[in-house]
Amino acid sequence: ELVLWTTANPDFQPTDDDKDNDDSESSSPLATLVAKVKHDGDVHDIAAPAPDIVATASSFGMISIYNIGHTDSGDSSLSLREAVTAHKFANGEPAVATSLSVQPTNSADAEIASCGEDGRIAYAPILRLDALQRHEVDSTVITGVCWPMPTQLAIATRAGQVKLFDRRAPAEVQAVFVDPSNTYEFECIAAHPSQSFRLATGTDTGAVLLWDIRNPKKPTMEAFNVHESNVWSVGFHPSDAAKIVSCSEDASLAVTQWVSDSDRQSRGVRHLSGFFNTLSVNCFDVCPFTRTSIIIAGSDSGNLLMEKTAASDFAIY
Amino acid sequence: MARLGTDKFVVEREKEVATRLSPGVFPTGRQSEWSAQNRTLTHSVHPLTNSVALCVAGKQPREQLKTDIRTYEQDQRIYVCGFGTTPDERLSFVNDTHAVFSAIQSIMDARETHVGVDALLRMSALYREAMLRQVRVLQDARDSEFVRSESDVFQAMHAVWHLLEIVYVTTNAGLSASVVPYYMEWLNFNFPAPAAADGERIIGSSPDSNALAQNPDVWPYVQKLALRGHVTTVANMLERIAPAQVLSAAASRWARELAQTARDMPLASSDETSGSFNARWRRWNSGLQSMATNIGSMLDKADDDALSALAMVVDVMRGDADSISRVGDTWQDVLGAVLLYSEPTAQTERLPALAQLVLEQFESDDFTLVDRTLAALVRHELPEFLVYCNQIDAWLSAHVSDLMQHIGILDSCRRVFKVEPREHYLVFLGERYLTHEGLWRVAMDYFGLCRTRVSQNIMGEYIVRMPLESDRKAQQVLRVCERYKLTEAMERVHRQLGRQKWQRGRLGAAIAHFVRVSDSSAVGQICDQLWAEYLASGQLTYGPIIDSVLATSAHDRVRFLTVYRDFHECYKGGEFKRAGKLLLSILVGEIAPSHAVPDLLVDSIPLLEGDALVFGADDTLELMRCAESVAQSLVDSDVCGVGRDELSIFNVACARNLARSYVMQ
Repeated sequence: ELVLWTTANPDFQPTDDDKDNDDSESSSPLATLVAKVKHDGDVHDIAAPAPDIVATASSFGMISIYNIGHTDSGDSSLSLREAVTAHKFANGEPAVATSLSVQPTNSADAEIASCGEDGRIAYAPILRLDALQRHEVDSTVITGVCWPMPTQLAIATRAGQVKLFDRRAPAEVQAVFVDPSNTYEFECIAAHPSQSFRLATGTDTGAVLLWDIRNPKKPTMEAFNVHESNVWSVGFHPSDAAKIVSCSEDASLAVTQWVSDSDRQSRGVRHLSGFFNTLSVNCFDVCPFTRTSIIIAGSDSGNLLMEKTAASDFAIY
Repeated sequence: MARLGTDKFVVEREKEVATRLSPGVFPTGRQSEWSAQNRTLTHSVHPLTNSVALCVAGKQPREQLKTDIRTYEQDQRIYVCGFGTTPDERLSFVNDTHAVFSAIQSIMDARETHVGVDALLRMSALYREAMLRQVRVLQDARDSEFVRSESDVFQAMHAVWHLLEIVYVTTNAGLSASVVPYYMEWLNFNFPAPAAADGERIIGSSPDSNALAQNPDVWPYVQKLALRGHVTTVANMLERIAPAQVLSAAASRWARELAQTARDMPLASSDETSGSFNARWRRWNSGLQSMATNIGSMLDKADDDALSALAMVVDVMRGDADSISRVGDTWQDVLGAVLLYSEPTAQTERLPALAQLVLEQFESDDFTLVDRTLAALVRHELPEFLVYCNQIDAWLSAHVSDLMQHIGILDSCRRVFKVEPREHYLVFLGERYLTHEGLWRVAMDYFGLCRTRVSQNIMGEYIVRMPLESDRKAQQVLRVCERYKLTEAMERVHRQLGRQKWQRGRLGAAIAHFVRVSDSSAVGQICDQLWAEYLASGQLTYGPIIDSVLATSAHDRVRFLTVYRDFHECYKGGEFKRAGKLLLSILVGEIAPSHAVPDLLVDSIPLLEGDALVFGADDTLELMRCAESVAQSLVDSDVCGVGRDELSIFNVACARNLARSYVMQ
């Protein structure tokens, strides 16, 4: 099932210095359900290439595109536009599509790349999913994919490798990065929004690794041990790329400040968790559109977790 | 009332569940016809969930029948039925209470006994909140039989849990706290009476005190109010009634007196010593006693309905057991009034004796399940209590036994039950949760936090049967195994994953799994498969596959394939000397499987024949020694991928190289 929710924009709420628990009883619920649609298989990853399109990667190896429709009366709806099978094993069984990423170009013909348990990357233009191309690039499970540049793709594999590809020569591996001193298994990968040589990967032991691949022969890597268990998803904060947000099986989210910035914020980690949420936090996203940062995450306990904090650098003149 | 015999509750009977298959397999009533046509039902039970798959089968194979029979569409159907499943509506309740349950276990682990009881109280309150939330959600839902029965269950659970909390946790915390105020709070919250609507109706329909006094419902209402200890409302009502003209002067006067007395009822306050409270209470009570005597003497002289009704109220409030029994509807009511009006400082230890007296007045056969449960609890008959809890709901018995374990009162039950009760109920609940695919992790936590050997074993069996649909799920399953130290289960899961990937053609990943569990035969087989693919296609494509296997694996075959790949690269790159060295290291180190050696020897032919001297004399002798042993085994068996011609070419090449090496050296 794919479900659309809406939540109040915190920028427009009256500022309360003290957020009492009593107030939360009488205030409206944190998020309200707006639309629902059936989805074939489990949703393993979601991306939103445009404000009215949602792309999902499913456990049957399919990439599906849904349209979000808004009617005049203010109702919203979700409807399936197209779906294509992107991942299959050699014996014909469908392979789970583990991750999706949208090419960061502004052109109308942007592509979606998806990776799966069959060790392949599939590329498809968003507008024409049936023009899908598949390339086998790894012998183990590919757990994450991202686009550091519009022509470059990076994947993270369960064998602890980060592989770079040039979109123009998709079947050839451009570079491989490994940490020889540790046997990691990577669960996810994310690219810095502006510096294409910085990548972040999450491991199965709870570390978030920050890579600098300017020198392909000698990549440098820094490890932040912020979690106790598999880091399922990692990402750079859209408004403040000095922070890396990650979510993990240990039921918490961590915000890691990896570089000291001009605001005198020093390096450190902040953990977020909820009492009633004891199971894995599977995925998260950060809202790039509001000044107040909203981090929203989903967990195995069936909870939608949200954190809305005031932006620290916003001042009233 | 006789105490329930031991045999009545030690043996539990599971509620029988039956489901109609719909659409049916045969038309109703025609079962014998259907069965006579060589038909029966066959079934298979799911290893994890409580579901059964059913379909029509023949008693004898169709081919063996003398006459052929028609087949029907119903024969092709497979039915899947679930029993004792967890409904979706309970999901948020299950998750919230699971969080509280885990928190309790970790708090109690910390072993700080003085914090323990406070923390338990807070957790207990969280449980109750979750139950009440569920009741509210159910009230908002569309009405149906399911919703109504669920609502009943949750209200019952709340009543039981609340009383348990009062009897064992709240009063444990206080020094010599009286159970009475808590009991009254419990009674009025869970079994509210009299209904506020009744009161409004009575007042609404009686515009003035005359009408009020004449309203037939008013006196029973006031009596019930008094029974429940709503003294202010009693006083208000009496003051409204008192000015009525229809009342005799005596009734009017006593009504006002009673109203005043009711308002004066002493309430315990925390900064008052029990001594002074007792003194105040005795004074108040004796005031009521004298009022009763006075009214009684007036009634002897003349009959007055209002006055006798008033007398009843006074009798209730002065703690007269007979009056209380007459006014009270349920035993909970009567017990409450007895506690409130005759022993306001009673402590929990007094409850069983008092309850016994009260319960004797009621017919136990009329009791509902909830009544029985509460009665067992109040009389401190814990084994019975647990059994009844289980009949209300599996959730209740599991969490109650857990709480009892932490408070330390479960020991008395252990002597009665044959199995460990907490473990039994927690495992039962875990199995219930397993029936829902989204709750598998919660179920595993219940098994794991049970912390007994039996639950460990059960958990190990269930976890290896978890369907491993995706890589992420497999990782989560492995994490669970790691967390609860199920090493054997972890090995089995790795093996399953290895086999799964092997079937799907993901050989590198398969090797990695088998290496983790040190299954060298499986690794060997996969490597042989890779080798065979190489021989068949002539292209060495397994390079990247091998690369991704952990470099630390010391398996012979993997090393063989790695070195052979390196040899291939060197050869292609023209580094013949290095290639030769690598090839030799394979043969000398004997890491190649025996069926591959002839191919390796054939590979060495171009190196032997090449322009540059790759193999020295010793090396060539080594090669020849290998050839000897191959020839030997060829004599023994006829199987060989390499032809004898090639071997003879090899021998010639070796001889020539040997000669060359002697010359060049």
